[in-house]
Amino acid sequence: MPEASILEIKDVVKRFGGITAVNHCSLSIGAGKIHGLIGPNGSGKTTLFNCITGLERLQGGEIRFKGERIDGLKPYQVARRGIGRTFQIIRVFPQLTTFENLLAVTTDPIEVARKRAEELLSFVTLTRLKDEYAGNLSYGQQKLLEFIRVLMTDPELILLDEPAAGVNRTLLNELLTAMTRLRDAGKTILIVEHDMKVVMGLCEAVYVLDYGEKIAEGPPSVIRSNERVIEAYFGR
Amino acid sequence: MRPVTVVVPIVAVLALLPAILSGYHISFMIQMFMWVALAGSWNLISGLTGYVSFGHVAFFGVGTYTAALLITKAGWHWLAAGLAGCIPAMLLALVIGYPCLRLKGPYFAISMLGLNEVVRALVSYFEGFTGGGSGISLPPIVAIVPVYYAMAAAAIVVTVVTYLIITSRFGLRLLAIREDELAADAMGINTAAYKLYAFLLSAAFPGIVGGFYAWYASHVEPMSVFPLITTITMIIMCLFGGSGTVLGPVLGAVLLSIMQELVWARFLWVHQALLGALIVAVVLLMPRGILGILRHHFRLPRAI
Repeated sequence: MPEASILEIKDVVKRFGGITAVNHCSLSIGAGKIHGLIGPNGSGKTTLFNCITGLERLQGGEIRFKGERIDGLKPYQVARRGIGRTFQIIRVFPQLTTFENLLAVTTDPIEVARKRAEELLSFVTLTRLKDEYAGNLSYGQQKLLEFIRVLMTDPELILLDEPAAGVNRTLLNELLTAMTRLRDAGKTILIVEHDMKVVMGLCEAVYVLDYGEKIAEGPPSVIRSNERVIEAYFGR
Repeated sequence: MRPVTVVVPIVAVLALLPAILSGYHISFMIQMFMWVALAGSWNLISGLTGYVSFGHVAFFGVGTYTAALLITKAGWHWLAAGLAGCIPAMLLALVIGYPCLRLKGPYFAISMLGLNEVVRALVSYFEGFTGGGSGISLPPIVAIVPVYYAMAAAAIVVTVVTYLIITSRFGLRLLAIREDELAADAMGINTAAYKLYAFLLSAAFPGIVGGFYAWYASHVEPMSVFPLITTITMIIMCLFGGSGTVLGPVLGAVLLSIMQELVWARFLWVHQALLGALIVAVVLLMPRGILGILRHHFRLPRAI
């Protein structure tokens, strides 16, 4: 691959008791692209996200972000290096307002933070819910809030865990447009997604995990016809 | 409305009150201020971050002993000795908070309960220094009005500090920790450091208030300054008024102090039973407290 990679995952191993969730997995995430991470349930996608963001300690291997080791750092340190993430199960701060959810996570001067929060709210058309408690928002709205909360700190690498799950068509299209715009602005995005249409339409590179191992990688068109991938998803 | 326009008239009224109140009522007010400060302090760690401290009276007790020793052995003025009470309280908070704030939920609560028992046992054990079980007697107090002002100041300072925290991003981050610590961490908030800052602050004021109390009570002993019921009273006052809010602990402390004075004092034998019943009622019927319920329905600003 000629282009520079922003995230290097080398030979990462993570076990839970007798289960090997991530098994000698290596990925090289090129900067400025949208990448997809797919695989059947329990294939280790979310665990790999947790390893990257410092929520899980590795049992082997290393992770480098812009050339520097980030495995072993605490989650907040990883976030401050410029990696933002969303969660598979929504994790907004329910008893904080939409606006407060955004303000809480940045260390920018307050005026800068307010301005950015206002911009992001209008970006996803949540402005009228600015002072509503996040816990009162609908599922889709919370999903959008979590998405723009990640953008508050302006991360270079954005990890999205199932951004399309439970989101209606209109909202999904907004999200997809937003992601493309972020990519065009130079951000790198890695998404875990089950919706194949989303992955195939959006991603420039796809990695497939099965039982914690990377079984395939390449552009969507190649992945679609890969035998091991079909086998992993549908069985023999 | 700017906060100054609220605080100034309150300070003025409280400053003039001793001129018209009887000694009995001044004593009542002193205790009420003490409860406002204690409930407010508990709120800083437990109301904001959700880390429930069941041993907060330990900081109060350490403050009383510090002041008692400084007054009797070193000849300090009671005001200076009282203020000095915050130092060992914060040191204790640092030593216990650093490891224990990693514990979640009931484990933190229990560890704090253990802390209080350890401190009480240590104070009882070192008899030569602390007077053991019989405690330390201070010179009898002649004028209580200065203590009134000191306690009133403590109550106001705790409330103003709470206001400043809750309306700042520091406060938002503490609330974010309460709401979802893991998400806060993943969003770049150094949760361990923030919890420790809040804990240190929440320990400082009980230390000071304890120092003033030692002078006011003229006597300190392990049984009277480390009782679990003091922690429970702080908690119930804060929950009753609305934890995690600025005025919740104030409201809870004032209402329960008055209730205690008017109702419970006349039914001494059921006092504890009534307090217990109130705890159950608050937890069951209004876990958010008075302000929490109002906030939920009317979307009050954070500043309240």
